[in-house]
Amino acid sequence: MSAARTTNLDLSAPPVIQLIGRRSLYIGVVASVIAIALGFTNPQVFFRGYLVSYMDWLGICLGSMVILMVRHLTGGGWGMVIRRILGAAMRTVPLMAAFFIPIAVLGVPRLYPWAMPLESVQNPTVREHLEHNRFVMSGYLHWSGFIWRAIIYFAIWNLLSYLLTRWSKEQDTPPVRDNSLRFKAVSGPGIILYAFTISFAAIDWIMSLDPSWISTIYGLLFLAGELISALCFAVVIERILFRYKPMSELLRPDFVHDHGKFMLTFVMVWAYFSFSQWLIIWSGNLPEEITWYIRRLHGGWGGVGLFLVVFQFFVPFFLLLSRPLKRDITRLVWLAVWLICVRYIDLFWLIEPNFSTSFHVTWADLLIPFAMGGLWLAYFCRNLSSMPLLPAYDVFAKQVLEPKHE
Amino acid sequence: MADRVDDVEVANRRAPVIEPGYTFGTVTDKISAIVLKRPTSTGWFIGFGIAFMLTMMMLFAIGYLVVKGTGIWGINIPIGWGFAIVNFVWWIGIGHAGTLISAILLLLRQSWRNSINRFAEAMTLFAVAAAGIFPLIHTGRPWLAYWLFPYPNTMNYWPQFRSPLLWDVFAVSTYFTISLLFWFVGLIPDLATLRDRSENRWAQMIYGMLAMGWRGSARHWHRYETMYLLLAGLATPLVLSVHTVVSFDFAIAIVPGWHTTIFPPYFVAGAIYSGFAMVLMLAIPIRKIYGLEDFITDRHLQNSAKVMLATGWIVAYGYGMEAFMGWYSGNRYDSFLLWNRLHGPYQFFYYLLLICNIGSPQLLWIRKLRTNSFGLFMVSFVILVGMWLERFVIVVMSLHRDFLNSSWGMYYPTRWDWMTYIGTIGMFLAAMFLFVRILPMISIFEMRTLLPEAEVKAE
Repeated sequence: MSAARTTNLDLSAPPVIQLIGRRSLYIGVVASVIAIALGFTNPQVFFRGYLVSYMDWLGICLGSMVILMVRHLTGGGWGMVIRRILGAAMRTVPLMAAFFIPIAVLGVPRLYPWAMPLESVQNPTVREHLEHNRFVMSGYLHWSGFIWRAIIYFAIWNLLSYLLTRWSKEQDTPPVRDNSLRFKAVSGPGIILYAFTISFAAIDWIMSLDPSWISTIYGLLFLAGELISALCFAVVIERILFRYKPMSELLRPDFVHDHGKFMLTFVMVWAYFSFSQWLIIWSGNLPEEITWYIRRLHGGWGGVGLFLVVFQFFVPFFLLLSRPLKRDITRLVWLAVWLICVRYIDLFWLIEPNFSTSFHVTWADLLIPFAMGGLWLAYFCRNLSSMPLLPAYDVFAKQVLEPKHE
Repeated sequence: MADRVDDVEVANRRAPVIEPGYTFGTVTDKISAIVLKRPTSTGWFIGFGIAFMLTMMMLFAIGYLVVKGTGIWGINIPIGWGFAIVNFVWWIGIGHAGTLISAILLLLRQSWRNSINRFAEAMTLFAVAAAGIFPLIHTGRPWLAYWLFPYPNTMNYWPQFRSPLLWDVFAVSTYFTISLLFWFVGLIPDLATLRDRSENRWAQMIYGMLAMGWRGSARHWHRYETMYLLLAGLATPLVLSVHTVVSFDFAIAIVPGWHTTIFPPYFVAGAIYSGFAMVLMLAIPIRKIYGLEDFITDRHLQNSAKVMLATGWIVAYGYGMEAFMGWYSGNRYDSFLLWNRLHGPYQFFYYLLLICNIGSPQLLWIRKLRTNSFGLFMVSFVILVGMWLERFVIVVMSLHRDFLNSSWGMYYPTRWDWMTYIGTIGMFLAAMFLFVRILPMISIFEMRTLLPEAEVKAE
């Protein structure tokens, strides 16, 4: 039985996690101090970079929550073995909520045209749109609504994270218990709630940077991107842990293979959504829609777009078709690291062209991901160390703890 | 997999995929006897008779159409796409569950699919066949339908490659071909079983020919499994591509209500939604009539219900996003479309659609209903009606009031529209009746892999 077996194996996180946490904290603090200092010189640039970075780390945090909920609904060893990694990433929601405060308080009038005086809106299309559709600004796109909606999103995400963690914690101590029904009861509605909240968050925080443009698939596109980031992040952590006990004994090629398959699936889903959006807008060729792509395909941005097509889809897609690669964590991890970086570029391409018609990279785009990421990683490592790497008293834990016979 | 856990409390909670007490022999006996031993009942003849008569009605309607032209239908400007496209999309959507169950669930190692994949695949084929009729006759000159294919010809013309209608030709014909192959390949070992078990000379010969010399040797099985997996891999993208292309038929145009980026995933989800509803509508009576409750268990009903609930929510998400963006965009045509749906002449259908597609599946949150055959049957029926209405709303309501007030109009289907539509349902059912009578409707060899006997024991 699982209980007997677990006593032989120390399931706590290896010391390297604390080491990574400490170093990330140093990097995070130093980078944050520099970023804030530079931020005073140019708050506009600071907040643009901040938003890109924020959406990137938020993606890992919330994507982990979804994958965790999917695991609770479907079961399977692949999810059991990374369950606590996903959980630790998910429990950074309070930190992400704290990181949101600067955007909500100081960033809004600097970032969003609907919060600026109309005369100061640079983009003529946006200005005209807002002038003609003032009802949108009074009914939806206003500062207090923005904050209230954010409070609702974070309340829902925190609640989900809290419930999923609480029942998972119970499974660290005897007796062996089966909480899967409770997990399911939360995860089913949880995924639905998440899909709606993240979609509206994406509309509020990113799409409304250009209020004249709409795309109904936008929320799903974000969701798919978050899944890629989160899974790749879990694979990276899994690789680091794989050097040490207990993960070196728990992680089997079967599980890694499943993770590789999920990576392939998510990459394909992302590409499918992106391509559909592009094809529909391109063929419709309506002025209110196509301008979004025109902005992102000219003035140097086109190169970034092409880079994404090649490196966020074609290259990972063809590499992931290989079965040996998907089964070998030591090689798969490099692709995961790559995809995490490309995801950042993807968000950069979605967000930055709103502010500038020609391609440029600022110090904020390079520095803030490290500032925020350092602090985020430190918090993540603290979360990961605070609980065993496997809920040993879950009835299903033996899928991982005991070898499988096929 | 999760279901293998032998803890008592876990095992008791979930219905099994196959009831205990069966062996390799009894499973084979039970399924093959339906085809070989069981006498054809009067009920079967009555059911098949009715379905066959409806098929004749369809042929009559099509015959008259060929003589008179599409003027006998209710289509006219501004609604040039009436029932034909509504029914086409409805049937194609239903046809999605088969491949999803057989290919995607196979790749995901969901072994519960083993008892429902065979007839779900058959259902897919018949549904796609029913769907294919509509665009064909909607061309007005079905005998020239081959013009849709790009081939070198003396007229020196090519089809319009930028038109999603042409992509449809490729998507649907590929889908039909792959589904047929997948279904047939899946049947081969079972056809060999029927060949070996039947006592009638003719049956032996026919099943024997169809079994293509299957002997069940280890080498056969090795190659077979590889091929089956490869076919599943090929079929998987098709589940997405077909309905994605169907959604492009609409979304590529700039008509409000059609031109929206959510369409591809939302159409695919809707297709799976209606497909599972049809699977349940067929599985529930079949398992009752043929006493197959041990193979198609409550677990299958529950899982299918959950898939419907999930896809139903994706559809609801689509409606919600579309409505929100209609308002948020400030585009007056989009806002008008929303207003027209809620207050226009077809408002009744729109509200009915919301009740059927968003309201009724919420009942599936109730655990008791998910295992209640009758309740589930009714919900599935309502969902099928709802999905038909969805296509009606999309096709007709977007076209009937477009940008120019002077070109507004109404659409009323004629009796020929109805006869063709109901006729295809008859054709579909007639084919299903024949299928359950002459082929094993549950995969015998895949069911055997679910038995405890098939499990490889350690040590």
